[in-house]
Amino acid sequence: MDQNYTFMFYGFTAAWLVVIIYVISIALREKKLRAELDRVKRMVDDREHEAKR
Amino acid sequence: MRLKIMLVLAVLSGVILAWNLHTMFLRVPDELNQGAIFRIIYFHVPSAITSFTGFFFAMFASVAYLASKNLRFDAIAASINEVSLAFATITLITGSLWGRIAWGIWWTWDARLTSYFVCWLLYVGYLMLRRAIDDPTTRARLCAVLSIFACADIVIVWKSIEWFRTQHPGPVLSIRNGGGMAPGMEAPIWWNLLALLMLSAVLIMMRTRQDAMQREIESLRRYAHAF
Amino acid sequence: MSFLQQALAIAGKDLRSEVRSKETVNASLSFALVILLLFSFAFDPGSEETHEIAGGLLWLVFAFAGTLILNRSFARELVNDCLDALISSPASGAQLFLGKCLANYVLLMIVECVCLPIFVIFYDARWPRQGWLLFVVMLLGTWGITVIGTLFSAMTVNLRLRELMLPTLIYPMLIPALMGAIQLSTVLMAGEPLGADNLIWFKLLVGFDLIFTILAVALVEIVLVG
Repeated sequence: MDQNYTFMFYGFTAAWLVVIIYVISIALREKKLRAELDRVKRMVDDREHEAKR
Repeated sequence: MRLKIMLVLAVLSGVILAWNLHTMFLRVPDELNQGAIFRIIYFHVPSAITSFTGFFFAMFASVAYLASKNLRFDAIAASINEVSLAFATITLITGSLWGRIAWGIWWTWDARLTSYFVCWLLYVGYLMLRRAIDDPTTRARLCAVLSIFACADIVIVWKSIEWFRTQHPGPVLSIRNGGGMAPGMEAPIWWNLLALLMLSAVLIMMRTRQDAMQREIESLRRYAHAF
Repeated sequence: MSFLQQALAIAGKDLRSEVRSKETVNASLSFALVILLLFSFAFDPGSEETHEIAGGLLWLVFAFAGTLILNRSFARELVNDCLDALISSPASGAQLFLGKCLANYVLLMIVECVCLPIFVIFYDARWPRQGWLLFVVMLLGTWGITVIGTLFSAMTVNLRLRELMLPTLIYPMLIPALMGAIQLSTVLMAGEPLGADNLIWFKLLVGFDLIFTILAVALVEIVLVG
């Protein structure tokens, strides 16, 4: 019986771990993309300013 | 607006999952033969159903992309496939742990497990193909075709492996004892399914938004290089 | 030129170039022989158990050797932009695909027909009583491998990791066809007549070939051109 409960907890933990790892990976990707987007927007603004001059 | 929908879905899903945990542990009695481990079914079966639903919807999104050439559909298809693959992984892991206790083996090559594993491999291949192609239009095109093929193949694989394994009857192994469950014990499966579907919807929306951001970055870069 | 004539012209071109260079068939054949050798280490060639899995071993050899042929199929057109020339020719994507499919089919059948007697000798297998049925199984199974393999060869031709992606993508797809072929081959090579319950595997093979041929011909234009 004890082994039963242990494995059940392993199972639940595994399921939740996969979900959590996946959500974290999405969140990290989001942060990276947002930083990249800001950087590229700034680059476009700089180039626009230069072109106007 | 979109953010609000995501938040509502996420909160609802969390509430249902939490409530179900309460039901699962405190209300539902231990199953006679298997003891506590059978509670894994409350994650195992909903994950499996969620993943299959996802793969089928992804096929429709792929067809929509091929018809309209709108890259948003490709983003949707890719996001759905990725999230469904995550749930498929959960299904395989929880199933394996359940099998270890219920049947004494980590894995067996019966119809359901084998065809599910094949399905998992097909979509890992899909993600590998996505990573291997740089150009967005080519990537969308080829992955859409692969998604359609993979979905057609899942159906055929499922039926064929069922014939294969029933021809050689091994130990009788059935994961789904849905028919044999008491009504009180079955409800948490469906609630969990609802919760997981909502959770996957949230994750898909997040991923799709990331793809949209990626496309915006690329188009801004092209614009910048035009100066 | 009619639809079939153009497809046959492309098939003829591929086969002619293969007859002149013999590179693909030689490589595929050598690879098949090496695999047979390796299997002989893994499985005791004379034992009863190996006879039971004879069909499985045979089709694994065919599937692995076939991947070499299928990989080369579109990869050989990359040199000198031949692929672009083919795509922009009056031949439609479907004709190009069918032509290449037929050429690959012939090459793979040649490899299989050479491998089969060698397999029977090496593994002390019994020559099936209904040899012609085994040939029919080979015809059906090989078409399944060829159709899927040619389409995915077209898909992966421009990727860096072409040699890696093709096997990864096609083997899970081919499982129903391989299973049907393996089941039927095992029964036939054990010398038993095909019973009514084996009919389902024939149906599976035919169904698989039909469904994926139609799907491939419908989608190949999108894969090649866009």
